[in-house]
This record gives sequence, C-alpha cells and structure tokens, in this order.
Amino acid sequence: MLSPALSRPPGDSVTVSPAARRLHLRAILVDTHDDTPQRFLFEKDFDFGKRNAEGHVDIPRAREGGMDAIFFSIWMPGDYTGPKAVKRSVAMIDSVRQTIRRHPRDLLPATTAAEIRRAAQQGKIAALMGMEGGHMIDDDLGVLRMYAALGVRYLTLTHFKNNNWADSSTDTPRHNGLTAFGKDVVRELNRLGVMVDISHVSDKTFYDALELTKAPVIASHSSCRAISDHPRNMNDDMLGALARNGGVVHINYHVDFLSQEFLNASRAANKDVTSLFAEVEKQCGEDQACQILAGDRLYKQALAAGRVPRVSWEKIVAHMDHVVKVAGVDHVGLGSDFDGANMPDGMDDASFLPRLTEALLARGYKERDIEKILGGNTLRVMEQVERVAREMGRQKVRTPNSEH
Amino acid sequence: MRNRGNWVFTAGLLVMAAGVAAAVAAQQAARQRDAVGPLPPVEISERARKLHFRSIVVDTHDDTTQRLLSEREYDIAKRDARGHIDIPRMREGGMDAIFFSIYIPATVTGPEAVKRSLRLIDSVYEAVRKNPKDLELAATAADVRRVVRQGRIAALMGMEGGHMIDDDLGALRMYAGLGVRYLTLTHSRKTNWAGSSGETENAGLTPFGKDVVRELNRLGVMVDISHVSDQTFYDALETSAAPMIASHSSCRAICNHARNMTDDMIRALAKKGGVIQITYVDSFLSQELKDAQEAIRDEQRAKTEEAQKACGADDAACRREAARRVREEFSARLPKASWTKIVDHIDHAVKLVGADHVGLGSDFDGATMPEGMEDVTRIPRITDALLQKGYRERDIEKILGGNILRVMEQVERVAQGRQK
Repeated sequence: MLSPALSRPPGDSVTVSPAARRLHLRAILVDTHDDTPQRFLFEKDFDFGKRNAEGHVDIPRAREGGMDAIFFSIWMPGDYTGPKAVKRSVAMIDSVRQTIRRHPRDLLPATTAAEIRRAAQQGKIAALMGMEGGHMIDDDLGVLRMYAALGVRYLTLTHFKNNNWADSSTDTPRHNGLTAFGKDVVRELNRLGVMVDISHVSDKTFYDALELTKAPVIASHSSCRAISDHPRNMNDDMLGALARNGGVVHINYHVDFLSQEFLNASRAANKDVTSLFAEVEKQCGEDQACQILAGDRLYKQALAAGRVPRVSWEKIVAHMDHVVKVAGVDHVGLGSDFDGANMPDGMDDASFLPRLTEALLARGYKERDIEKILGGNTLRVMEQVERVAREMGRQKVRTPNSEH
Repeated sequence: MRNRGNWVFTAGLLVMAAGVAAAVAAQQAARQRDAVGPLPPVEISERARKLHFRSIVVDTHDDTTQRLLSEREYDIAKRDARGHIDIPRMREGGMDAIFFSIYIPATVTGPEAVKRSLRLIDSVYEAVRKNPKDLELAATAADVRRVVRQGRIAALMGMEGGHMIDDDLGALRMYAGLGVRYLTLTHSRKTNWAGSSGETENAGLTPFGKDVVRELNRLGVMVDISHVSDQTFYDALETSAAPMIASHSSCRAICNHARNMTDDMIRALAKKGGVIQITYVDSFLSQELKDAQEAIRDEQRAKTEEAQKACGADDAACRREAARRVREEFSARLPKASWTKIVDHIDHAVKLVGADHVGLGSDFDGATMPEGMEDVTRIPRITDALLQKGYRERDIEKILGGNILRVMEQVERVAQGRQK
C-alpha cells in the first residue's frame, strides 16, 4: 500500500524505470548500518532534516532513496574502552533519540519488525539502533541489558580490534573465537531479543557464535570474499553456514569490500586500512564526525589524483547476486555503511538507492525476491529473534546478581 | 543475638565534611549492624490496620538497590534477617510502592559514575524480572495505582545525586528513559552545578544547574531537594515549573541537622505544591542523638585511626573491621531515638503547612533506624499513631502516599505541556 509520503517521487539523483520506482517505493527498505549518529553527537550544526552537501544520509535524501528503516550505528573506536565508552554510548543513544524527537513527522522510533511496518504505513522512516562493537558493553551484561532497554537491537560482537571476549577479523587472534563470557553475551542477546551481528568478527568467532545462538544472526554490513578478499567480508562457506542458521548478510557498499582491484590499490597506497585511520585521527582527534567527513575527503582526493581506481555501484549488485547464488535469496539484505565508509561511483548517497532495485529487475529477479532483499529478509530475522526471546523469557529466570 | 559478622555492601567511605559525618557514620553502622531476630507482629488497632492496608503506601527512598547489585547472598524475594527491606517484609508492612535509590558515593564521578548508575538500574530491572508476581516497574502515578490494584508492589527509581549525570543532559535523559523518576540534585558533596548541605559553602545552582531543573521538568522527572544546600533549594524552587519533593528529609525545628528543612523551606516547598517525605534516619530525628554523636566524633575518629594502624596500608577489609569495632564501642554511649520521633516530624510539618505536603521517605537500608522502626514491617505503627493523634483517615491516606502520587501527576502534567 502506498502512503502519501512514500508516493513522492525520488529526486533528480537517479532516474529509474517506472516499474523499478513503483517496486522500490512499495517495498519496505531496511538499511542495517548507518554511521550518521557520529554527526548527531559531534557536529553541532548538523541538521538531519535538511539536505546536506556532505555525508550520505539525511531525511531528504533518505526519502528520495526510499529508505523506510535505518539502523543508526552506535559506534566508537575499539580502543575507546572502559567506563568512558559506556558514557559515550549513552550520549550517542541520546543523540539518536533527540534526532527522532526533533523530526516527529519524518522519524518514528522502532525496536521491532512490527514497529517498522507501522512506521512504513504512516509514511515515516523507522529509526532503530545497532551497537557496533562489543567493547562498548565494558564486559558487563548489566550494561548490555540497559542498552537493549534503551532500544539497541543488534550488537556487533567486535569492531576492528579484539575485545576482552571475542576476536576481530582485523586483529591478531587472542581468544580463539569467543571466550566463556563471550558465549554468555551471545546467550544474553538471544534472551533480550537483540540480534547477534557477526560483521567485523574473526572467522572462529563467527562459527562459535553460530554454534551457540538460538536465533538467526546477521552480518549487518559485510560483503563477499569471493569477489573482494578482505577479512571483513564473508567466504562462501560462511555464507552457507549463515543461510543454514536462517540469517542474513547485509551487503556493505564500502569500496574496499566491493572491489578486489580497489582493495589491492588501496593496500598499495595505504599499506592497510589502519594507516588511513591514523591520518584521519591526526586531523580530527576524538571528533568522530570530523573523522567520517575527513575520511570521505581523503578518499575523494585519492580518486581525483588517480591513486585508486573508480568502483562502480554495480559491484553492490554483483555481491548480492553472489550471495543469492551461494546461499539463496532469503539471506541477503542491505547494510550500506553510509556515513562510515567510502561509497562507489553512482552510490554517492542514500538518494541513489532505487538503482539497486532497477538493477535487480534488469537481472531478472522476481519482484517478491527483490522485496526480500530490500528489507523483507531483515524483518523476518527480527521476527524470529523476537520469538526466540519470548520463548526464552518463559523459561525460569536464572541470572546471577549482576556483580557476580 | 547472633553475630553475622561484617556486613558491608559498599566500600567504606567517610566523608569528613562537617554536616554529614554523623549521617555517614550512621549509614555505616546500619550497614554493618548485626542481624536481628524475627520481629513480633506490630500491635496496632484494627482500624489502623484496615486503613493502612487500604491506603497506597509509597516510600520515596530506599537504598536496597546496593544490596541488589553487590550482595551475593541477598535475595529480595526471601525474608532476610538483616537490612530493612525484602518482599515478605514489604508485604507485612503494607508498603505498596518503593523508590529504589540509584546511589553511588559523591566521590565517584565521571564516566565511572555513569557506568555504575546503569548497573544499579539494571539490578532493579533484574529484581523485577525475577519476581514478576510481586514486583512491577512503574514510572507514573497511574502505573502505581494499577500495579497496586493488581496486588503487586510498584518498583520505581530515584537517582540520589546529580553527580551521576556526569554534567551531561543526554545521560540524564537516558536515565529518565530507563525509568528514573526523581533526581536528588546533589548528595553530600557539591556537584559542578549545585551546592550540597554536606558542605559549609552555601552554593546555589549554576546556569547549567538551572538547565538540569528545566530538563527534569520537561522529562517529567521530579526535582528532589534532599541533600542540597539551602541556596540550591531556593534556586531550584524558583526555577522549577513543577512541584518538587524532598525525598528523604525531616524538620530542623526538631533536629537541627543540615539535611533537614527549616520551617521557612517547608513553607516555600508547600506553597509550590511540593511534599517533604519525612526520613527515619535516627540522627536526623533526634537532636539529643545528633548532639551526642557530634560530641564523640573527634574521639571516635582518633580511636579509629589508632585502631587502623595495625592494618596494612592496602588492607581495606582490616581497616573496615577496625572502624566497625570502634563504632560498636562508641554506639553504646549514644542515646537511642524512638520511632515516635517520626510521627513528631510528620506532625510538625502538618501543623506548619497542612496534610497535603507531607509523606514518607524512610531511607531504609541506607541509615540507622530509630528504635521501634527496625524494618519495613514496623510502618503500620505510623498509621496507628496518626489515628491516635486524631488525624482524619483521608489525611493519613495522603501522608502515606496520596500526596506523592498527586505530585507525580502534577509533574507528569507539566512535562506533557513541554513535550512539543
């Protein structure tokens, strides 16, 4: 059903066929990873309600792109730990809630699949939260429960660095996957109805989490190693295992993860991702909004100077297509990494999203399969995760006092 | 009396500021006191019993939360020989709604305070989750009425000390989002934005402190002026658009303690529709006890330091035990306060401002109780005593809980008007 707000045509950013536009606007589009909260918290003058020249997401561009639900990422660097990480997490969650409060006509807070559907019916964008990195719980299940109570609906078990209970895909293994406490975290996430997110984690952590979880898991923003062999991406065996678990990999649009050619060039130019981060941190200190915008500028400078190759947005579709072939159409979704990554040519910001629908149609995808990819699969996982939580809630409560 | 040994659930913290040392010592004593045996049922009139159990009894200050978080053996579902609060004893005492205090010492600040606040809030959530037949979280007056009607105890939360927001309105909003329904602007030390009665400097609210009060109004969180300096009280009163509470304070006219309120303050609070929730802390009730505590304070401190010399510098347990021994020795020299003093304070406030502005804020599990108010099972005595004093039943119902529910409703209404 078309709501008045959703029937507004996309802006001039992209022209797509009427059939693609209709489908795109009818479908509930869910993006599981969006780093804009760093701008909410750190950029004093940032107005999410206005079209911005920089960055990838704001309400006008989300509307043009037909975004119906956004998982705002609660993130800080993996070496920002201890109680100060808890404090900043609380402040960042508040910044999301304040943004929602300031835009009641456009945004609706949501924590469940049903709430996303309700927001879409009202012609509003559902605003959700995911927490990108287990370090932010500061090794405390009580803190995790409070984030869940404040609306966080997935936890990415690690970020770029190992934490005290899980190994990251971009660090030297320390725990051989999940520790005993890490396994408690996964069980608690299941009980709370918070999705386990395996983006960023080491392969062993991924398999440990998968073996343990009672609910489907997600990769909130990862792509395919078969196309770009980056540890942040998933290999075909992992994709198969994720499908058997009922989970969904949400394709990340970051150029490093989309294109082997780009990855090779970027590694040659920067040695590795971390040297780029070092440069950004030198410019910005702890100001995370400055960091994302500076990172984007550095990327565009490198492109203009020809130091790195251009990557087409069509690579996103190639990754989707790969997952569909390896794992099936029920196990792929969208996890842009807008405002947290370097976008390929032609996916300059959220307003370009309708292109994906058109490209999938052009590849011969059925409309109902495209609807699954755009958001249906994520909604299904959310419903399953909610069901598991309800079932676990009916079991006897056996949590020790939280200090012990 | 059985000796259950050392009973400490917070790290010993002695705040040496003049006005609070006695109170802190009393808290320490309460927390370390040996177990008492089961108490016989309170003897009260049938009329008092009916009235007490018909009324909605609300207690705005209980420090049981620290036991929930830190005491491995404590189970709120089971009758405990120690402490003042658990579900069986709340049932026996007819306590229908309890504000669990989210409290950490004023010396713990910064992000650490935020993390520990979340853990305390979580411990309340967990206690509720584990006891769904007896407890339910409540955030509004309507919630309290519904939960009580359904035969459960309403669990609410108040945050005792502005230092826990770490100078951040965002943190404050998230605490409110999690259900915190009052903020005591300070504890026993001044914050970066408000003065405390625990310090000699009578500091007021800074501009940011006034922003905190306005944000509390907008959020529908009660402004609590217990613990604050007199100037901060008057500043908050001027700033707040909603009635305020003193969650656990008594009357200076009876016991001249900085934590209590002068008659002028009580009148000003009432004039704006607020409520003073009389606290049972023995040294706030009795001038005689307070004076005696002050008379021995220096001697006790010297003796404690002497006793602690035998301990290694890092041996906190040994130091605590030494302090406990000295305290026990000195407490024998102190006069006892009687529970009837609670009624005297209630009566004083009622005579001053009427029955609409007085309530109950025990400080159970956070202080030493007067004789006859050993734990929550004793509170029906208050109802009985007020009846004997000739109070009307409907006024007693107000004091037991009606007044604080009215303030909550007013605070909620002010917030609704400010949401846009």
